[in-house]
Amino acid sequence: MLIFENIKLALSSIRVNKMRSFLTMLGMIIGISSVIAIVSLGDTMRSAIAKEYENVGSTLGYLYINSPDGYYTDDYLFTADDKELVQEAFGDRLTYVGFNSSSKATMKNGRVVKEGNLMGLSENPSEYKKLNIIKGKLFSNLDVENARPFVILEEKDAMELFGSVDVVGRSIRTVIGSETKELTVTGVYRNQDSALMKLLSGSNNNRFTAYVPETLIFPKGSSAWTLYFCVNPAYDVNEVGNQVARYVAKIKNKDISQVMFYSAQQEMGTIDSMMSGLSAVVGAIAAISLVVGGIGIMNIMLVSVTERTREIGIRKALGARTQDILSQFLIESAIISAAGGAVGTALGIGVVAIGGMFVDMAVVVKPQVVILAVAFSAMVGIFFGLYPAAKAAKADPIEALRYE
Amino acid sequence: MAMRNIIEIQNLNKIYDTGAIQVHALKDVNLTIQEGEYVAIMGKSGSGKSTLMNILGCLDRPTSGSYVLDGIDVAKENPKQISYIRNQKIGFVFQSFNLIPRTSALKNVELPMIYGRVPAKERLERAKELLEKVGLGDRLHHMPNEISGGQKQRIAVARALANRPAILLADEPTGNLDTPSSVEVMNLFTQLNQEGVTVIVVTHEDDIAAFTNRIIRFQDGQMIEDKRRGEHADF
Repeated sequence: MLIFENIKLALSSIRVNKMRSFLTMLGMIIGISSVIAIVSLGDTMRSAIAKEYENVGSTLGYLYINSPDGYYTDDYLFTADDKELVQEAFGDRLTYVGFNSSSKATMKNGRVVKEGNLMGLSENPSEYKKLNIIKGKLFSNLDVENARPFVILEEKDAMELFGSVDVVGRSIRTVIGSETKELTVTGVYRNQDSALMKLLSGSNNNRFTAYVPETLIFPKGSSAWTLYFCVNPAYDVNEVGNQVARYVAKIKNKDISQVMFYSAQQEMGTIDSMMSGLSAVVGAIAAISLVVGGIGIMNIMLVSVTERTREIGIRKALGARTQDILSQFLIESAIISAAGGAVGTALGIGVVAIGGMFVDMAVVVKPQVVILAVAFSAMVGIFFGLYPAAKAAKADPIEALRYE
Repeated sequence: MAMRNIIEIQNLNKIYDTGAIQVHALKDVNLTIQEGEYVAIMGKSGSGKSTLMNILGCLDRPTSGSYVLDGIDVAKENPKQISYIRNQKIGFVFQSFNLIPRTSALKNVELPMIYGRVPAKERLERAKELLEKVGLGDRLHHMPNEISGGQKQRIAVARALANRPAILLADEPTGNLDTPSSVEVMNLFTQLNQEGVTVIVVTHEDDIAAFTNRIIRFQDGQMIEDKRRGEHADF
């Protein structure tokens, strides 16, 4: 085979028909760039979500009691007493038990007023929430037990309220419901959520998120829908979680089937399979555009073969073998297609990179996706070039030489 | 001078089967051409001369009979070897030049050598040498659409000679040329023949045939005349 000569021939033929070749490539460019962009965006999202769950902790679980008739009385809800019973029954198997309670509040320092949410943390808060404390420290278990009026502010809120982050020990007037409390700042944290997570959690830059001992906003006698807990990493989350569920069913006098238990691991698995399912579906749709691009190449190659019928006749008369003609046209279609694939790859990565800049995320472009895309595009070119090339190679030289 | 037979044709028949009717294009043709001959094949259209030309050029196969070219029984060869024979044994010159468009004179002359797997450097030297031989040493990089018909045909002759073929086969080589260009091209054939190249020209013009040393005339698929220079009053 005359690979080198045929590559030169193909390149000059593409050069001669610049516009046509570009339009033919466009199908491949759009197809490949959308496949790469979609698959890479999916991978980026998945790795971002996986990271979020790492922050939350894979030991986290929660449960609630389902009412069969949708009517919830107090015995379906959890109180501080239920929490204590669970803590006592499971001892060191659970590192954290709490309600994930929150309360709307307003903070005032002089003329600066800010609205937001107070989030309650129970004993061993670091087990539940990985806060990046940059000043001060987290609450102690004693702080929680005694419902001390302490607060941990976010860096930016501290700046807004006090004009500084060195605010440990200062107090802030906070209105919670109808009550007004003076809370002492014991720590300042930095928000590490990615832009994606902020987007998903719907957090609002104008509102504050501050942490307080849970007992401060969840006094004895209140009740909550859901009980959150962290399992000691030495034990299996789902196993202990199911034990907790059985125990809760017993103390609340409910059937075990009514107690719904979920773990972060399960959720992560669900989201992960959802995301991969989604990118598979969208990827398949994008792959269809590759087939459409391939048909475009076949169409143009057929036109090109017909146009060059006489040239094919001349080549055959001069001694070109069937395989010489076949490889000439196959290489031409493979080059058009692979060039389209390469441009499409660059464009796809570019789109993902620009998208990543907007959501402030490190984009994940797997090299195997790129290799697969370019190899696939060359294969599309060869596959859809095969018929036109075979048509050219089979041409009868006498007929071809007579072609006007 | 002991001459070798370069073409031996025996009882050659060509029948075109178009379904409804059968056309007997060549009937029992027997023909021998020796190395170094300068032959004109003449006849009106439909006489079978183009069919013979296609068979001689290995573009078509006979229905029956044998055709031996330079010692090779062509009928027995497979398509790959037929391509090889076309490439190595036959140099074509066509009425309509048949240069590859948008391709320089040099590249056109190189083409048979590309298919003959001649190394690039040798190819380039030979192509230059041939173009100089046909008087186009100053037109190496011109495209076919930038030069005159006579020049195109001279490029085609250079291309036909690229692989030093056993026969130069010209099908109405002057059909698209004016008289001065025709004379120029025929003089080139005469010169090549004097250098030892076997030249076969298919034509219907007597004044073109007059350049050659042997005239074979066809009518209705049969050879009706075969005369050599000196054997006839006209010659």
